[in-house]
Amino acid sequence: MIYRFHSLFLLFALFWTGAIAAADSVAMNRADADAEPMILTTTAPGKNIDQAVTALSQAIVNHNYTFVRQQSIDSRLVPYAEEVRSVRLVYFCNFAKMDRALRIDPRATQMLPCRVTLVETSSGVDLIAVNPAWTSQSMPALREVCQELKQDYLDILDEAAL
Amino acid sequence: MKPGLIKHFVVAFGLMLSLSTQAAPLSVSKAVDMRQAMDDVALAAINHELVLVKMQPIDTALTKRGFEDPGMRILFIGSESAVRWAEEAEPRLLNLLPLRLTLIKNEAGITLVSDDFGPWLHEFPDAPARLMIEAWQAEMKAMLDDFVRQ
Repeated sequence: MIYRFHSLFLLFALFWTGAIAAADSVAMNRADADAEPMILTTTAPGKNIDQAVTALSQAIVNHNYTFVRQQSIDSRLVPYAEEVRSVRLVYFCNFAKMDRALRIDPRATQMLPCRVTLVETSSGVDLIAVNPAWTSQSMPALREVCQELKQDYLDILDEAAL
Repeated sequence: MKPGLIKHFVVAFGLMLSLSTQAAPLSVSKAVDMRQAMDDVALAAINHELVLVKMQPIDTALTKRGFEDPGMRILFIGSESAVRWAEEAEPRLLNLLPLRLTLIKNEAGITLVSDDFGPWLHEFPDAPARLMIEAWQAEMKAMLDDFVRQ
């Protein structure tokens, strides 16, 4: 009887520990998520998508990043002639920063290569990026790197929108 | 220790794990080299009506520039239906497309890891966005399971 009580107690203690740990983790993630916006965005008024891609490519180079490629959102999913022209993805990278991030935590690939999504609207082009500081909320070792990366994104977006 | 008690430990441990890993990225491993893994992923993608949009060889990109080989490659996988669904229901989810997979070379072979869908599920708690993310997650899981079977 005592033995059964002990085993039930252990079961309850383990379950409770796990539940508290999970709740803490969720709460921490929620606090981080609340602190960081998911999206970094700016608008380039009066530009068309080609002009915005050109401006963004120049801003990328000016901030010591390498342009990797651009593609439509449905590239290779539909025939080229049918691709959506108003939404483009631009990928870029700084290889030294990539190397540093991957050495800290291989999950940094979730932010690689850097990407900006351009959406043409009636008044200009919206430039949108997923905030790396938001993505890294469950990767504490990457926080510093991702804050730097976020600042780079903001600088690049600002310059591209001029 | 009695078998009954061990069983209780196992059950409790399983519960703890399930609670603490809900938002973890999907991950599978297989004893193959990088080239074979790429072929097997491509086949698994086709089986699930997904398209291999782009392979990003970050291993060669880094070594070519004098950095250490991280033993990793990134794959982007997509489907037209996912793009159209996101355009219609929640354009912010276009930022998650095409879906990303990381191939990591290790001693046992190759580990394939998806992005973590957890933060996205947290950010979009309601339908239809949540349903979309869950559907993509399920699709990715089925494809990864297929990759292991190839």
